[in-house]
Amino acid sequence: MTSIPTIAGAAAAIAEGRLSPVALTEACLERIDRHEAKLNAFIRLEREGALASARAAEAEIKAGRRRGALHGIPFAHKDIYETAGIPTTCHSKLLQDYVPARDAFTVARLAEAGIVMLGKLATHEFAVGGPSFDLPWPPARNPWAREHFPGGSSSGTGAAVAAGFVLGGTGSCTGGSIRLPAAYCGLAGIKPTYGLVSRTGIQPLAFTLDHSGPLAWTVEDCAILLQAMAGHDPADPASAKVAIPDYRAGLDGGIKGQRIGVIRHFFEKDMTVAPEVGAAMEASIGVLRQLGASVRDVTLPPLQDWNACGWLILVTEAYTVHEPWLRTRYNDYGKNFRDRIGLGAFFTAADYISAIRFRRELQEQMAKVMTEVDLLVLPTAAVPAPRLTEVGSYSSFETPNFTMPFNVSGLPALALCNGFSGTGLPLSLQIVGRPFEDALVLRAGHAYETATSWKVRRPAL
Amino acid sequence: MPAPNPKISRDDFESLVRRSGLPLSESQKSELYGAYGYVEAIAERVRAGGKRPREVEPAVIFKPAAKTGGAP
Repeated sequence: MTSIPTIAGAAAAIAEGRLSPVALTEACLERIDRHEAKLNAFIRLEREGALASARAAEAEIKAGRRRGALHGIPFAHKDIYETAGIPTTCHSKLLQDYVPARDAFTVARLAEAGIVMLGKLATHEFAVGGPSFDLPWPPARNPWAREHFPGGSSSGTGAAVAAGFVLGGTGSCTGGSIRLPAAYCGLAGIKPTYGLVSRTGIQPLAFTLDHSGPLAWTVEDCAILLQAMAGHDPADPASAKVAIPDYRAGLDGGIKGQRIGVIRHFFEKDMTVAPEVGAAMEASIGVLRQLGASVRDVTLPPLQDWNACGWLILVTEAYTVHEPWLRTRYNDYGKNFRDRIGLGAFFTAADYISAIRFRRELQEQMAKVMTEVDLLVLPTAAVPAPRLTEVGSYSSFETPNFTMPFNVSGLPALALCNGFSGTGLPLSLQIVGRPFEDALVLRAGHAYETATSWKVRRPAL
Repeated sequence: MPAPNPKISRDDFESLVRRSGLPLSESQKSELYGAYGYVEAIAERVRAGGKRPREVEPAVIFKPAAKTGGAP
């Protein structure tokens, strides 16, 4: 096998008997063997388990018991997702020997759907520490340019999917950790509506901002994965009991007549972007217009407001989760984690309450705008992937990002490739919808993706 | 944007560290003191200069039933 299929393509070939899950898994393992040392995408490779799982899938499918599009598909989990009997380290010395007794809700759901789990993927320490060189495992690298940041905190998932080590993977997102690796690695990644996908069994970072979701090569693949991951979980207090539509079946409806708002002041006034990011954004707006959407600018509170609100909540909630260890094992954390979350010791209760009151004000502003448009668009990141050495402990506080507003508001937000920089690094468009209208977000992304040809290009490893 | 200079004095910062119970070395204290300007700037923006109306409360506001018909 020379080319890397999408999940949708592999699923069709498996269903028709043209592709063996065992051969597909072996091809992924062979690719990992050749290139993993350059990318550090994996914390743990489950080679034998994956091959056994692939053989079982193949036998089931041959016996006429194919479970669906994910049956026999090579996949991996961010290493903050608990996996029964398999270490779940959170990329940290503190949990390097932790072996959970249970699967996370989403891990179990994806296993039931038939994925072949190849292993556990690198992350920032506890999903927030930034790319670090003082942890038990090195940071993941960007397959498009190895000295560059793959984004985070789902850094290993971004690297592994872009490299073709797996066809999809899980991410988690508290301020951009699914969309930023998707952006920097040229992938599709969706942060679903808050409450759509369970967080049970996923290491918490900040309870009221945490989301779980997939990354994959295409929007269609994300739709397939979200189908397996979404659904009510009584064990997650934030889990919503809503009807789950057929995300993949809804992809082909197009966006003719949809009203799209461009949050132009975010990327032209509140924050400057690289010229090629701005040019790609304008070209994307042109494509959306050609597809029949009506596009106009909309105004929200300044980007800095969303980031201040989000970061205060994130840092204080994360500090609360980690306080016992920070007091007793401070130096077992990496420097980036200590620097970022240590600041949580200094916000007051009144600061935190002010932030959650502010969040409600911001949510109401967002809801008002979403009565005037059906979707929002903006860049996912202001610049193409920076070099790993350019990402410091306080980068997130130094410059606001375009992803945090949708963690604060809880709205579904999709990142997808919308071009390449002059140096060949991916650029990314972000599409946002109303709460629980994830299907429309995916449909818009699919319409854009199939109208453009960005997905033809793969990184040369 | 580099960290804004902290307004808090080093002595007052030291008292916050003691209250937190974090076992910081002198260099770690200096690192966090150097970043304390971010804490002040973020908190100042979130507090809105004390001008937020008193009735603004922190409840979560999703009403998914309005769009999906499937909410509890």
